[in-house]
Amino acid sequence: MEHEFPSELKYLQTHEWVRIQDNIAIIGITDYAQHQLGDIVYVEFPEIGTTLKKGSNVAEIESVKAVGELMMPLSGKIIEVNTGLVDNPESVNSSPYGTGWMLKIEITNEGEIDELLTVEAYKKIIEAEKK
Amino acid sequence: MDLIIDLKKTPFYNFHVKLGARMVDFAGFSMPVQYDSIIKEHEAVRTEAGIFDVSHMGEFLLEGNDVIEFLQYVMINDLNLLEPSKGQYSCMCYKNGTVVDDLVYYEEKPDRFRMIVNAGNIEKDFQWLNQHIGSKDVKITNLSSKRCRLAFQGPNSDTYLQPLVDTDLSLIKRFYFARCLLSGMPIFIARTGYTGERGFEISFNNEYAEKIWDELIKAGATPAGLGARDSLRLEAKYSLYGHEINDSITPVEAGLFWLVKPKEGIDYIGKNILIKQKKEGTDRIIVGLNLLDRGVIRENFRIFKDGVEIGYVTSGGYSPTLKKTIGLGLIKTQHKEEGTELEIEVRNKFLKGVVVSTPFYRNV
Repeated sequence: MEHEFPSELKYLQTHEWVRIQDNIAIIGITDYAQHQLGDIVYVEFPEIGTTLKKGSNVAEIESVKAVGELMMPLSGKIIEVNTGLVDNPESVNSSPYGTGWMLKIEITNEGEIDELLTVEAYKKIIEAEKK
Repeated sequence: MDLIIDLKKTPFYNFHVKLGARMVDFAGFSMPVQYDSIIKEHEAVRTEAGIFDVSHMGEFLLEGNDVIEFLQYVMINDLNLLEPSKGQYSCMCYKNGTVVDDLVYYEEKPDRFRMIVNAGNIEKDFQWLNQHIGSKDVKITNLSSKRCRLAFQGPNSDTYLQPLVDTDLSLIKRFYFARCLLSGMPIFIARTGYTGERGFEISFNNEYAEKIWDELIKAGATPAGLGARDSLRLEAKYSLYGHEINDSITPVEAGLFWLVKPKEGIDYIGKNILIKQKKEGTDRIIVGLNLLDRGVIRENFRIFKDGVEIGYVTSGGYSPTLKKTIGLGLIKTQHKEEGTELEIEVRNKFLKGVVVSTPFYRNV
């Protein structure tokens, strides 16, 4: 199974992707992660306005068979959640980088951006995990 | 240290891998949990037909003049309701009424029965059965690894299968079986299943595995994995060993009242306690659950009523047919009434749930 990993995004070892525009980051889970979880049926979001540290658990992603956790890739304040997933959670499977996005945060520590993985580094982690 | 456990493979293993299935360890077997999508496989079974590899399950042959007498003693259902060419669902229980296994047996002749048992219980069941033969004329042969088993389930299963077999499928009523040829290959075929849809379960010698799988796929069946098997059986409220029934839950507590038969004049293992439970009721019982809040409940989540713990979820998940969360819970009997609101603990939060009638969905 070939997975798609857009090169303009940054990644986390825990399979989140991050799209950074100025001091705003959009966050979701990768194509690999959605495939591992299977059919997604519900995403439990945090409250808007919550401030969380990098690495903290920010959302629960329920699939038919399992539950996954979304980690904060950067410290920040939640400014928007993808309410479209309430009625169409399957968008996470069909469009993990598009309509399946999960959160928008305001970055509070821009120094952490350099710690995110490039697409090449993330692909290496996937290859290792598959073995 | 790496601990390497060799998983057993069914004769269909290579098909699963070729189809890109996600393989998991299930009762020591490498089995497909899903090929592509549990929801799509689930829907294929509800609307057309799906094919499941259930070769991990056990198959025993029981022969001898005393087989019926023997089964009357170890099973809680009544063999007097059987006749040749018919099968029966039953439980075998311990003396205290809890369950050794739930299973189906088929009467080929009064002195020859075929039995299908749960994968995780094959060794235990074989031992348990043999332990209780005593001086009776019964010989049990474990055919599990010599034969393989497929479930062919869905509203189209009759029309897809009929052109392949040399018997009139409409003559096989629910829970009856036949022996026939499928594209020339001998099979045992029963109108039984674990999905809540019309369908068949078939068994045959391993040598025919590849050809029969190919024939059924060509006929239109969608391969479906253990994930869909579980969501389908949960909608139909079929008990799963290790969840709704096990060696600490009785069939009466699991709501399988109808299985506990009086069998006048016949003693059977667990009879005293089960008859008493059926008459007087039990302190706890399995009920159907829905969530009023959004979320998903899973097995072992704790259930509360007004802050007091009253039980736990035995099975839970998303229902692809009803498009909402469903579950079964073992709770204190006083809260079993439909409409009773309760709280289910989901990762340190409490979600509002409600007791509902079951099955959630069945179409047989």
